[in-house]
Amino acid sequence: MNENVIVFKNVTKKYRLFNSRRARLLSVFTRRIKYITKVAVDNVSFKIKRGETVAILGKNGAGKSTILKIITGVAFQNEGEVEVKGRVSALLELATGFEENFTGRENIYLKGDLLGIPKDEIKELEKQIVEFAELEEYIDQPIKTYSSGMRARLGFAIYINIEPEILIVDEVLSVGDKEFEKKCLKRVNEVIEKNNVTLLFVTHSTETAKKFCKRGIILNQGKLTFDGDIDKAVELYDNSIN
Amino acid sequence: MGTFINIIKEHIQYRHQIFKLAFTDLIKTYRGAILGWSWAIIKPAVTIFVYWFAFTFGLRAGRDVSGYPFFLWMIAGLIPWNYMNEMLLAGMESLIKYRYLVTKIKFPISTIPTFVNFSKLIIFSILLLIVIIIFMLFGFMPDLYTLQILFYALLAFIFFNVWGILSSMLAAISVDFTNFIKAIITAIFWLSGILWNTNNITNPWGKAFFLFNPITYLINGFRNCFIYKVAFWQEPLQLGCFCLVLLVLTIVTVRIYKKLRKEIPDVL
Ligand SMILES: Nc1ncnc2c1ncn2[C@@H]1O[C@H](COP(=O)(O)OP(=O)(O)O)[C@@H](O)[C@H]1O
Ligand SMILES: [Mg+2]
Repeated sequence: MNENVIVFKNVTKKYRLFNSRRARLLSVFTRRIKYITKVAVDNVSFKIKRGETVAILGKNGAGKSTILKIITGVAFQNEGEVEVKGRVSALLELATGFEENFTGRENIYLKGDLLGIPKDEIKELEKQIVEFAELEEYIDQPIKTYSSGMRARLGFAIYINIEPEILIVDEVLSVGDKEFEKKCLKRVNEVIEKNNVTLLFVTHSTETAKKFCKRGIILNQGKLTFDGDIDKAVELYDNSIN
Repeated sequence: MGTFINIIKEHIQYRHQIFKLAFTDLIKTYRGAILGWSWAIIKPAVTIFVYWFAFTFGLRAGRDVSGYPFFLWMIAGLIPWNYMNEMLLAGMESLIKYRYLVTKIKFPISTIPTFVNFSKLIIFSILLLIVIIIFMLFGFMPDLYTLQILFYALLAFIFFNVWGILSSMLAAISVDFTNFIKAIITAIFWLSGILWNTNNITNPWGKAFFLFNPITYLINGFRNCFIYKVAFWQEPLQLGCFCLVLLVLTIVTVRIYKKLRKEIPDVL
């Protein structure tokens, strides 16, 4: 039952930094253009089993988001192997990624199509999503009339309600107001408890991390420096900051 | 080769999303405008009218071609050009326009130019139908040659799909590329024989140039259907040259795709 759903084996991700966009364009056609290599994820290995709740801790630029993007499938490693099993729902920058001229409701259906979710399944979830997002009559207005908080609410409502098997949360819950954040966290909790969802969580609040996760991974400049019990991880991480 | 097969596989796997997104793209383009959908038709119609007016009354260059009024000869090339023009630009900007499909969810980027292409093809089909109707109004009924527009539309679709994949990646990397293409698009227009007949060229270099100009081939192809009444197999040399250009473009595109695919999300 508890098989590995995410496996990272010696994964390295490098970003190529050029002087300018033009230099990057030229580099497509010639090898002579110089660039700097930034190693964002450095030879990282770990395995995550179904139903595990993992917090990823690390300073800004440690490579947390890059790892989550690789798991989501919107960034690619340069070396190593990555294996991901199951429907991934990634809460990355919630307020973006809508069709501006489409209504909230149309965007729900579009997202469903894009994520490959059957129509009747979306239909069932629609009401749940609309209710959770608290948009009321705005749900049938174009997204371009939404505030950023409303967008984030809709984004969250869609991704949390499509019944993910792997849920990825990257520092996004602070966009709305405090009350909504609380509601989101509560919902995240419900989902992981009920459906045995695997959770990957990035947050600056070690308190929240402790509450939600049993396991902690610490990253430092792209390298994995600790992987184990969350209390130990938080302690180490807090010490390293102070 | 593996990369090429991969691209094809992605298209098959995501065919439902491709069609869904093609319609989304159509709606997105025209919703919000007061006249909405009709813009897709009005814009080229105005262009046709302006050219017709200029060439019939103003420039007096409007001699009949093969027994067809110059105006008909013109729209037989201008409407296909309208599609190609759209694809040169919209195909190129597709990844930027649909950035969220690249950076927010797992989605095959090679299919993004494809659904934009489909969206343009739908409008193009409607316009071609209108062209057929205009020809009928002038008393020229469709025949078996007219049926060949399916063949040339398919070739154009494939060619500009490959172009879309290539150019959208380069445009995602730098606006320099976008600006360059926009700067030369008028040159492409005049160097492809959309408003003048390239068959009249006698200079051997000029002949060779137009032989290897894929846009010229496609434009002449559509005129073969409407005006010249030539079957596509009667011009094997031209077809061969077009296919050669398409092959080279495809090879370049696949190589660059292989090189850039994993980097595109990082730069968008
Ligand atoms: N698209 C990108 N292009 C170039 N460098 C990047 C890109 N994204 C992230 N980086 C770099 O990679 C490193 C890790 O970034 P990130 O994964 O976002 O860290 P975190 O989420 O832990 O703050 C940083 O040094 C960052 O500057
Ligand atoms: Mg981050």
